[in-house]
Amino acid sequence: MPALKIENKIRYTFLFLFSVIFLILFNSCEFSYPEIVVVNMTSEHILIRNVSFNGCLWNSTLAYGKASSPKRCLPGSDRVHFEKFDAKQYCREQVEDGTIEGICLCDENDKNDDIGEGLINEEPMWFKYQTNYVVQAGYGDFIRVEIKLDEIQQDFSVPGPYGH
Amino acid sequence: MKVFTIIWLEFALMFYAQDIFCADAENKGDNSSNTGSKSFHSNQKTGTIKKGKKRGKNWKEKKDEDEESKFRTVVKGKKNSVKDVTGDSSVIEGEKVRKGKGETFFESVGREDADIYVTSRGGGIHGVGSGASGGIHIRGLGGSPNTQILIVEDGVADYQGIFGHPIPDAYVPYLIDSVVIVKGGDSVLYGSNAMGGVISIKSKWRNIDGYELRSDSSFGSFWTMREGLTLLGKNKHLSYNGAISYLSSQGHRDGAGGKSFVGQSGIRYSFSPEVKITLKDKVIHIEGQDPGPASHPYYEHWFDVWRNMFSFALEGNGDKLSPSMIAYLNYGNHRLYDGFHSDDFIWGGKSEIKFALHKMVEILLGIDATGNYGNVENRITDEKEDIKGFCDFAFYNQITLVPFSKLRIVLGSRELINTMWGFVPLYKGGFLWNFYRGFYLRSRVSRNFREPTIRELYLPYPTANPSLKPEYSLNWDFGAGFDSNHLIFSVTGFMTYVENMIKYFGAWPSAEVVNIDKTTIWGVEGKAGFKDIGPVSFLFSINWQDVGRYTKQNPSLKLDASLEAGHSFSKVRIEGGISMEWVHGIYMENYSRKRIPDAFVMDANFRLRTKIRGMFSVEPYMIFRNILDRSYAYIEDYPMPGFSVFGGIVMEVM
Repeated sequence: MPALKIENKIRYTFLFLFSVIFLILFNSCEFSYPEIVVVNMTSEHILIRNVSFNGCLWNSTLAYGKASSPKRCLPGSDRVHFEKFDAKQYCREQVEDGTIEGICLCDENDKNDDIGEGLINEEPMWFKYQTNYVVQAGYGDFIRVEIKLDEIQQDFSVPGPYGH
Repeated sequence: MKVFTIIWLEFALMFYAQDIFCADAENKGDNSSNTGSKSFHSNQKTGTIKKGKKRGKNWKEKKDEDEESKFRTVVKGKKNSVKDVTGDSSVIEGEKVRKGKGETFFESVGREDADIYVTSRGGGIHGVGSGASGGIHIRGLGGSPNTQILIVEDGVADYQGIFGHPIPDAYVPYLIDSVVIVKGGDSVLYGSNAMGGVISIKSKWRNIDGYELRSDSSFGSFWTMREGLTLLGKNKHLSYNGAISYLSSQGHRDGAGGKSFVGQSGIRYSFSPEVKITLKDKVIHIEGQDPGPASHPYYEHWFDVWRNMFSFALEGNGDKLSPSMIAYLNYGNHRLYDGFHSDDFIWGGKSEIKFALHKMVEILLGIDATGNYGNVENRITDEKEDIKGFCDFAFYNQITLVPFSKLRIVLGSRELINTMWGFVPLYKGGFLWNFYRGFYLRSRVSRNFREPTIRELYLPYPTANPSLKPEYSLNWDFGAGFDSNHLIFSVTGFMTYVENMIKYFGAWPSAEVVNIDKTTIWGVEGKAGFKDIGPVSFLFSINWQDVGRYTKQNPSLKLDASLEAGHSFSKVRIEGGISMEWVHGIYMENYSRKRIPDAFVMDANFRLRTKIRGMFSVEPYMIFRNILDRSYAYIEDYPMPGFSVFGGIVMEVM
């Protein structure tokens, strides 16, 4: 077998190292991003949706006790942001406003007949909330974030609309 | 898998093409010696084909020649490709841009000099609109959007008719021969928008008969795939250049991905070595999303942009007389997630003549006409915006005086009439004195301007003001330096006085866009380095500036450095480099409010250049970005990616 010339040795050695280093780094840097799961542990009548953490967005609605799918997010720290809907509160308001046919408050005196039709809002309101603590996520972490009623606060840091 | 299949198919195609082109070239006895490109491979070709003549040079010598040309990339105001040599300009060779370390074109330009600053958000796609990155600032002017910086491609000003700024994702390196960055603007030669600076891109053509085919494929972090295919050809009087570029990335976070396609094609007929006619067309299609701030990401804030630019040029290049004529049409169709839809048009033409009256006097005269128009509607609400277009007609002139061989004085003026704002006088004057063996002094003062865009005048995104007036700047700079084959050093002081500056204030729904009174920007830029000292080259540049009240995305200090080394082993060459950027004093708002931490990032790259067979060469490379895995951002709440890696291969047949 003829001996390889010096340039061929360099060529093949470099190409081999090149491929190996690339494959190792490509796999390691992306697959070591932290995985985050968010669980709705607020209350049975509260739904949360559009949960986000450090650039990750779960475009789903979580009922009480349900968990989002694990998602790889950027390493770093952030609060968990979400939109909250209180179904019980909503029903109570709608009943008070008399928008649900056949259902009324037990005490008829509580019914508010003075509200004009234009003031009644039948649209469910989703309010922006965030956790009152910061979650730290590092490489290789698997973090389960439980959203609890006593650990959330209203989120007023919502950015303005997209410009053109 | 799909990526690797494509790469292998290309590999096979290259081998097949090499057989055809090699045979073709050898049969024709092609004795060409200059491709017009200073690439590594062009030297390789001359070494192979010019039997007996160039074969005497070994690979290393040829590489050294090439390396020399590579580091001759940044020259202060002395290049022949610069129309006004007294302006402070940098020239970047196309090959250097093509080797950009996984960056976009704008990011590559931003790493060139410290007084150029580009915002980025890390993915492959910059995006459009005010939520986008890719804002380019030169000496305190420009930015989001880039209306004060003009991009010129082969003599044609490239911007959107309605928004008045270029799309950062529209520029790909594959057909670039050189990029000239004119700092301090030059509205005398380039008209509106050339206020803070001009980035002039020149396309690559083949100057000798034959063909060259080049493929650059890469794959890496965030499932980012880039593919660029370039074909250059020349057969007697007819030349062709074409390139397609495809980029697809999932992005480093939700919504940061996107894809872009840029196709470019040109044909040139040379009636004689001095007279040529060129037709060129470029198509761009970009799809992406605004990911939104990391703390409150957006869902499906997508955009879809199509643009087409067609140009026709007739150029003459005589010893004493060089006339030229260019006509162009630029059309764009933009759609956004919220129903926004626009069609915009820019048409224009200019005719220029340069003649040497005497060995000490050169005169340039030109006429220029440009028109902007567009339609805007919301497809969801079926609302149409009432907008008016406008036109510019201008006469411009420049005289270059050479009283003695080492001194050049340039004077010029532009008399412009706009259909909305009437007469606009512009002027400039400067000198360059090469006083002793590479040492030089230079200075220039120029009055530049920018017209309000249709968006600023009529579109409520987020607000409009139909009574806006053009903004003007008076740019002055003074520099001294030294430039030789191995050493480079320069210092430049600059001052820009801006009148009627157009600025957005506040946020929707209470935002306003107004002409502010006056502001002054001043600063100092310095550069030092050595090149080809043994196998090593090093460049360092720093810029400090005081931008006054308007600090939004306008950092006070920027520092760039790069260290490169290479060594040749017969037919193989190994190269590596490391570069860094540090940006200090980044504010998200004016009046020095909302400061964010300094951005510091280091990148590295390695390449192996090897000739496989005949005129077929392969160049695998690897790029590591943010090797220190630092958390940083140029835009608040838009974190840049951590450590990421990209691997690719360049295959070329000549």
